[in-house]
Amino acid sequence: MNRKGTDKILSIYWFAVLTLVAGGIFAMVYIFYGAPYDVRGIESEILAERIADCISREGIIDSEFFVEGGFNYGIQNSFMDKCNLNFKVEEGYGDASEMQYFYEVEFYTINNIESFAFSFNGGNTNWKEECFIKKESNKEYNRLAKCTEERFYAVDEKKEQYLIKILSVIGKSEKNVKL
Amino acid sequence: MLNYKKGQVGESITWIVATLILIAILLVFIYLSITLSKTKSLNVSLKADSEDSVNWINSKTEMAYSINANNKNKIEEWISLEGKNE
Repeated sequence: MNRKGTDKILSIYWFAVLTLVAGGIFAMVYIFYGAPYDVRGIESEILAERIADCISREGIIDSEFFVEGGFNYGIQNSFMDKCNLNFKVEEGYGDASEMQYFYEVEFYTINNIESFAFSFNGGNTNWKEECFIKKESNKEYNRLAKCTEERFYAVDEKKEQYLIKILSVIGKSEKNVKL
Repeated sequence: MLNYKKGQVGESITWIVATLILIAILLVFIYLSITLSKTKSLNVSLKADSEDSVNWINSKTEMAYSINANNKNKIEEWISLEGKNE
């Protein structure tokens, strides 16, 4: 008489255990694969390389950066088009209101490597200051923008020597860091 | 009758303990998956990490040296300061 009741309870128990295990496995998979990969570091390196490639090819600075023996200060306005850079790519991801990229290029002459002779930048300047905050390995610091600094040497068509520093910054913490 | 009840209680306790162990194991694995999910980041660097691979940025500097190699030490020293203020 009691045997039937015990079997019934045991069946319910086994279903409960099965649900528990399935739920646990689902939770584990959801937690692991739901977390985004942080690709901002490599993204900022790629941006810096694209900018460097646009400024200097085969060691010679593009002639568009100079005008009548001096620097072409108007390059800031045309640099994005010249280098085929488009920073307005975040529409639809909730980041449209704030541009998520920043770059800065500084030219130093060989006679004065302490202060730059010419500089221009583009994108959202608010990200720049985050590059100079000491990053510690906790959640809040992980949300700071990722920065890459690249330095290289190039010459102009008259073989004048220039040192070039590129700073590229990627925000996009909402997409790359789990809240 | 008493022995039968004792057996039932013993069996029930066994199942309850087994369930608790199962929940504990699941919680441990969920905690591990949370920990692992926090380490997900691509730490690939485009910079050359061996003599065989070529750094794209450094290759620009090398090509510029082939045109004008004056002040090489000064340039190398300046380039070595890369990332010091990040």
